[in-house]
Amino acid sequence: MSAVPDTSQWPFKAVLVANRGEIAVRVLRTVQKLGLKGIVVYHAADRGTLAVKMADQAIEITGPTPVASYLDGAQIIAAALASGAGAIHPGYGFLSENKGFCQAVEAAGIRFIGPTPEQIDLMGDKVRARNFVEKAGFPVAPSAIEDDDPATFVERSRKVGAPLLIKPSAGGGGKGMRIVRDLSLLEQEIVRGRSEGARYFGDGRLYCERYIENPRHIEVQVLGDGHGNVVHVFERECSVQRRFQKIVEETPSPALTPELREKICETAAGIARSIGYRNAGTVEFIFGQQGEFYFLEMNTRLQVEHPVTEQITGIDLVLQQLRVAAGEQLGFEQTDVKAQGHAIEFRIYAEDAARGYTPTTGPVLVLHPPQGEGVRWDSGILQGGEVTSAFDPMIAKLIVTGHDRADAIAKGDAALRDTVLLGCKTNTAFLRRLIAHPAFVAGDVHTGFLDANPQIAAEPELAAETLQALLAAAALSTRPMRDVADAVPDMHAAMGGWRN
Amino acid sequence: MQHAFKLGEAEHNNALSRSANAYRLHFGEQVIDVDLKTGADGRAWLTVGERHHEVVIATRGDDVFVHFDGEAYQLRYRHPLDRLAAAAGGSAEDHIRAPMPGSIVSVSVKPGDAVTKGQTLLVMESMKMETTITAPRDGVVAVVTYEKAQTFDRDALLLSLEPNQ
Repeated sequence: MSAVPDTSQWPFKAVLVANRGEIAVRVLRTVQKLGLKGIVVYHAADRGTLAVKMADQAIEITGPTPVASYLDGAQIIAAALASGAGAIHPGYGFLSENKGFCQAVEAAGIRFIGPTPEQIDLMGDKVRARNFVEKAGFPVAPSAIEDDDPATFVERSRKVGAPLLIKPSAGGGGKGMRIVRDLSLLEQEIVRGRSEGARYFGDGRLYCERYIENPRHIEVQVLGDGHGNVVHVFERECSVQRRFQKIVEETPSPALTPELREKICETAAGIARSIGYRNAGTVEFIFGQQGEFYFLEMNTRLQVEHPVTEQITGIDLVLQQLRVAAGEQLGFEQTDVKAQGHAIEFRIYAEDAARGYTPTTGPVLVLHPPQGEGVRWDSGILQGGEVTSAFDPMIAKLIVTGHDRADAIAKGDAALRDTVLLGCKTNTAFLRRLIAHPAFVAGDVHTGFLDANPQIAAEPELAAETLQALLAAAALSTRPMRDVADAVPDMHAAMGGWRN
Repeated sequence: MQHAFKLGEAEHNNALSRSANAYRLHFGEQVIDVDLKTGADGRAWLTVGERHHEVVIATRGDDVFVHFDGEAYQLRYRHPLDRLAAAAGGSAEDHIRAPMPGSIVSVSVKPGDAVTKGQTLLVMESMKMETTITAPRDGVVAVVTYEKAQTFDRDALLLSLEPNQ
C-alpha cells in the first residue's frame, strides 16, 4: 500500500505546499520520494527553515503579518500558476478547510489535494455536520436546541437526561456553560444560563446536550477515493490536552476492546462513506467511561497526529492523498489494512508548562534531535534558526514506535531525554513527567486530566547536586568568571611541593 | 569576587578559582573541584567533585544554556557591577517587563506623563488574550519601548517609570 506508484500518467508533475514548518517538510518528503517537483511558498520569517531548504523551488509570499501571508489564497494560487504546480497540498490549519480556497484552486485548473468543496462545507459547519450525521443514523450526543421550539425546550432538555450541559447558542470558550446533575434544578439553571448568555453574548438563547463525565477524545483515520471506496485506518487516542489542544496522541487507544474498536472505526468509515468522501480525513468522537461514543466533528484534511497511524500500519497517508487527488482508486480493501505495535506522538511546544503553558521564544542555538530505532522526528526547525511568536508554538513532533504500549512509553522517555534544544524553553521535561504519571502509564486519562493534576506542569525543586552541576557548568562557560580565576594562580600549585 | 547566576526566579552567588589542574567552585560553604572539557557541537564533559557528566552547553550574551541529565536549563549571568548599580538606584518595579511574548494592542501613556497607581499604561495581547498593564505606583513615565501592533519577547522591557526621588 505504500509502494511508490507510477506517476507517469498523473495529471500533475509538481506539487505546491501551501503551508510551513514541520508539515511542509512532511509533505515535501513524500512528493520528492515520488519523483515529483516540490514547491513551497514562504514568508520572509521562514526563510531559513528546513522546508525552504528542501524544496525544489521556494516562492516568497508577503502579507501584513507572517500568518496573513499563508492565508492569502490569491497569492498562493498565483505562485502555483507561475511555478507550473499542477496541484496544491494545503497541509493542516491555514487554508486546508477553506471552501472558497478549494474552489478558487480548482477554478484555476489546479488539483486541490483534499476533499470536494461541498464536503468541506458540510463538515465545516458543526451544527450542520451533526444534523447530517444524526440523520444518516450515526450516534450524536443527545441534545435539545431551544430555537427548534422554545415552548417545549425545558421538556425536551429533561428528555436528554442528566448529567446535562447547558450552553449559550451564541457562546464559546466555556462562558455561560452550566452542568446539571439533578434534573429538579433544571428550570432554575436554564434561567441562570439564559441571563449569563445575555450578559456575555447579548443573546440568551440556549441549547443543551448530554454531559459526558471525564470524556476521552478518540478519533478515527479514514481514507476515501471519491469513487465510493472508503476504509478506516484505525483510531488515535488524543485525550491528553491542555487548553483544548492535544499534546500526546497514541494508537491503538488503551481504552478500546477489540469489539469497541471495530464499532467506532466502522462508524467513522460509515460516516465518510455516506458523503462519498475523497481524501484522508479524521472523524472525532467523544468517548464516555461506559464505552458510549458520540460524533464530535470531522476534519477534512491531514491531521497533525497522522504519523502514529503511519507508524503502526506502514501506510504513507500523504502518498494516499496524492494518489486520490491524481484520480486513482484506493486499490485496497479494509481487510488489507493491518496494524502492528504501538506508536505515541509527543508535540514539542516552545512553551513553559509551569507558567500556564505560556509560549516561549528564542534562538535555536543547539539542536540534537533524538535518534534510534523506532524514533521519528518531524520538524521544520534547524539549528541556527529562531522560534518567534509569529506562528503556533509547536516546533516539532517526536513519534516513537514500540512493540507494545510499555515499550513505546520507555522509548518515548529515552527519546525525550535525548532531545537537546538549547536557547528556547520547550516542554520536553514536562512530557517526561506526564508519561511517568501512574494514570498515564495505566492508560487511564481523559480530556481534563492535566487540569485535574496540575502538579505535572509544576517544575519540581532542583536536587542540590543538580544545582551544583549547573552552576559549575555555567561558571566554567562564563568568560569573566574564568578570566578572574585564571588571573590568580592556585596557591598550592604556586608553592610547588608543599603538599609533599 | 562573588558572581551570580539567575536560575528561574532564584539568584545564586558563587565564585571560581584555580586549582592545580582545573578549577574550584565556591558555592555557599562548599568548595568543589570542577572542570569542563568542551567538544564539538556544544557537547562537553563536566566534572563536579568525583562525578562526571556528559552535558551540552550553549551561550548567548549573558545566558548559559545547559542540557543536563535529560533536561534543558537556562542560567543568566549577573555582572557584579550591574548588580551594584541595581542595588543603588531604582527598584525592579520601575521597569515593567513582558510576562510572556505577545504584541501591543494599545499604549495609553507617553514619556513625561504623570501616572497614579493602578492606572492603565498599556494593553498587550498574547495567546489571543488581552492583558492590561497598570502602574505599580504613582510616578512619571520615563520610557515607552513599543508602539501599537509591535511584537515583543518575554521579559522585554515594555515601559519604565522615573526613579523615585
